[in-house]
Amino acid sequence: MAHAATVDEHATNTGIDNRKLLMWLFLASECLFFGGLIGTYLLYRNSSIEGPYPTDRVIDGVAYSGLFDIPFTSISAFVLLMSSVTMVLALSAIQRNDRRGLQIWLAATALLGMTFLAGQAFEFTEFYNEGLTLNSNLFGTTFFVLTGFHGAHVSVGVLILLSLWIMARRGRITSENALNVELAGLYWHFVDVVWIVIFTLVYLLQ
Amino acid sequence: MLELLTVVLAVDGKAFFENPAYLLGIPLIAVGALGALLALTPIELKWPQPAPPEEEYEILDHAPGDHPDAAEYVKVGLILAVITAVEVAVYYVDALEGALLAILLILSAAKFVLVALWFMHLRFDNRLLSIAFSGGMLLVAALFVIVLSTLGASLV
Repeated sequence: MAHAATVDEHATNTGIDNRKLLMWLFLASECLFFGGLIGTYLLYRNSSIEGPYPTDRVIDGVAYSGLFDIPFTSISAFVLLMSSVTMVLALSAIQRNDRRGLQIWLAATALLGMTFLAGQAFEFTEFYNEGLTLNSNLFGTTFFVLTGFHGAHVSVGVLILLSLWIMARRGRITSENALNVELAGLYWHFVDVVWIVIFTLVYLLQ
Repeated sequence: MLELLTVVLAVDGKAFFENPAYLLGIPLIAVGALGALLALTPIELKWPQPAPPEEEYEILDHAPGDHPDAAEYVKVGLILAVITAVEVAVYYVDALEGALLAILLILSAAKFVLVALWFMHLRFDNRLLSIAFSGGMLLVAALFVIVLSTLGASLV
């Protein structure tokens, strides 16, 4: 059963709240930002002339074991995906004026985001210990820049979520200003869809 | 965890400038700490409040239409989880190696579309928002086609 969303609106030429339109235009520009980084990764994929490499391979009779740990990254991807579910449940809660639900789902989303970041920090550290750095080879440069910037976006998202959670705890978010939660949600879901693309193109397609 | 902490604390100057985890992580932690500090200070932070609606303006389309309820969001979440499981399973099936690229791209696109349409509410909101986002996606597609084709990159 659908219910009418209660969001603070005001008259604009488009009928869309200016903040929401601005967020969508920002996300559209972010498409190009990540598109450039993903394109660069794909451009230099399999172009490294020395290791470490992302996957197992034999070059000139020398066997190199790959760095990617697909089961581990799959769990990270699943965690981020589920954080999108908790985020949208937070929005659904505040649209019903369920402030307790909002706090719970916002906290869950932030925790899942932090879990993803911890996984990424662990992965980066493991790769570094295996000899992969920003300037070790083309794989290192393109991989770290792409996933690092994504991680930076997730970090910003976690900060926004924690700020909203504190505001919710203080009773400053109601169904009247649920748009604040919706805007944070749009950003968070965007970060999630970017990871959907990265997970497939970078990790699974080899 | 302790091992990770030991590695982090044992960083030398050279490692700091080589390891992206430090290069990106430490500034982010600093920003995070600053953000947390600001969030916890008793400064009154107010979101900008929208102007009250004026009757002479007509709202062409209510931006947030009827959003789905929580149960529908959970259903979509379960579908996304299943698709992710299928993606990983397909990755390990040797017999599907020939079709791996097509299968993974289709599954990935399905997840992308589900999140954008349901969780980001593009299915329910003003179409102008879909147009704005599609514009960004089209520009990415143009970038990919031009750069990757002219410079010879390949997904296979």
